[in-house]
This record gives sequence, structure tokens and C-alpha cells, in this order.
Amino acid sequence: MVDDDLWSAVGDPTRRRVLDLLLSEGSGTATSLSEQLPVTRQAVAKHLIVLDRVGLVHPTTAGREKQFRVDEAQLARAVAQLADVGAAWDSRLQRIRRIAETIQRGKDTSNKTKKQ
Amino acid sequence: MEFGTIEREIHIDASPEVVFDVVSSPEHLREWWPDEAEFPAVPGGAGRIGFGDFSQGGTWAQFAVVDVAPPRLFSFRWTHEEGESAAPGNSLLVVFELQPVGTRTLLRMTESGFRERGWDEAKVAAEYAEHVTGWDFYLPRLPAYAVKVAAGAGA
Repeated sequence: MVDDDLWSAVGDPTRRRVLDLLLSEGSGTATSLSEQLPVTRQAVAKHLIVLDRVGLVHPTTAGREKQFRVDEAQLARAVAQLADVGAAWDSRLQRIRRIAETIQRGKDTSNKTKKQ
Repeated sequence: MEFGTIEREIHIDASPEVVFDVVSSPEHLREWWPDEAEFPAVPGGAGRIGFGDFSQGGTWAQFAVVDVAPPRLFSFRWTHEEGESAAPGNSLLVVFELQPVGTRTLLRMTESGFRERGWDEAKVAAEYAEHVTGWDFYLPRLPAYAVKVAAGAGA
């Protein structure tokens, strides 16, 4: 079952960059993240709220600004759901292959019969 | 992982002409993906594909052919709203590229548009999930179909 909110959260390119930065640096604040992104601190803070709401990041209050960390279990869940989309295509392509190969074998057989 | 695009490759032991027919004709599409497919296989051809229980109306998705260049390329857009013209930003783009390798075919498939669709992505994802379930349900009828095609082609 696909969780719509989780999909929406990772569907945004800026939020994916935020997740990437948090993963590579371990943690970050709206200020530290905005310094590495082409968006304002306020915009980053809004993205962090969206990510927090679906459980992809967790805030800890240390000092004057919230520190955010990625919830890796929840991220793994989101990635698994995205992988399902690819799996659907894997199934379709296997069917395309089987149908095409069956038709090809039929043609090859009928050509041989004609030649004889 | 790239979230915006799905890319796949598969080798098929059939000529590009045969594979092209399977990926592009509504008759064959019905056997590997939707339950119903109605579209003219010409550039710009608009139609729809349907899934599920049609006694309860089924679920329809808009479908529009983009490029048709047999036996090398077939592409279409889908999931745009009914009444809208398919375009970047309102639909997903599926491209099939066929490359001959000896007597076989290398089939490349890409599906893109997730990134551009932004918030609508969630809705699309939900549709995908239904398709996955659909495949589990429809899988058993495929071998029977393959035998039927073989019998027809051999006759």
C-alpha cells in the first residue's frame, strides 16, 4: 500500500536535496541547510516541517535552533515503495518479452514449414 | 536512487518488428498491461486504457501516443486528466527504444515525469500500486494467451 503523504514528501526535488544533505552530514538545521541550497532558511524550515510530518526527519532541540536527523527506517520504507513502481515495469517487460518471443517462434516455425 | 525516472533494459529473442508490434498495438498492450486499450497508434493519437472490474465502471487512464517510428521507437504519455492535452507536467512519458542485436532486440524503456508532476506524484503512485495488484491478479491468464498466439501464428 502506497502512503500518499510519504510519496509527496520525497516527490519534491528540494526536499530530496535536504534529505541528501542530512544523510551525508548526519544532522543539520534550517540555517545550515539553507547555506548549501539555493533557497531561503524559511523555505528550508517549511520543507523540514513536511519531512517531519511524515516521519522522515526528527528534530532535537539543542541550542537555539532545532537539529534535524533522518529517520533511516522511514526513508527505507519510502524507497521500497518507489522500488515497487519499478517492479511493476519489470513485470510488464517480462510479459512483453514472453509475448514477442512466442510470436517470433510461431513465425520461424511457419517459415520453415513453407520452405519444406 | 533517481526518483524522477524509471529506466529498464531487456533482451528479447525476437526481431524489432515483432517487439515493436507488441509494445505499440492496443491488442497486444491489453495482454501485458491494461485490461482495455483504445488508441490509434499514430503520432498524437489520443485514447485511454482501462483497468479493473468494468461491471463497476473500471478505472480509466488517459493515453496519448507521442512518437511512432517502427521498428525503432514508440512513446506515449498517460495519466493526464480527461479533456487535457498530454504535455510535460501533466502526464508521465513512457519511451520504448528498440535496437537490433543480431536477430534479437534490445528493448529500452524509460518512464519519466514524476519530478515535474510534483504533488500529483502521490496520486500517480497510488495508481501504480493498483496496477501491481492487477498484475498479480491477471498473471495466470498469460500462458493461455501465449499458446493461443503461437497456435494462430503457426496456422
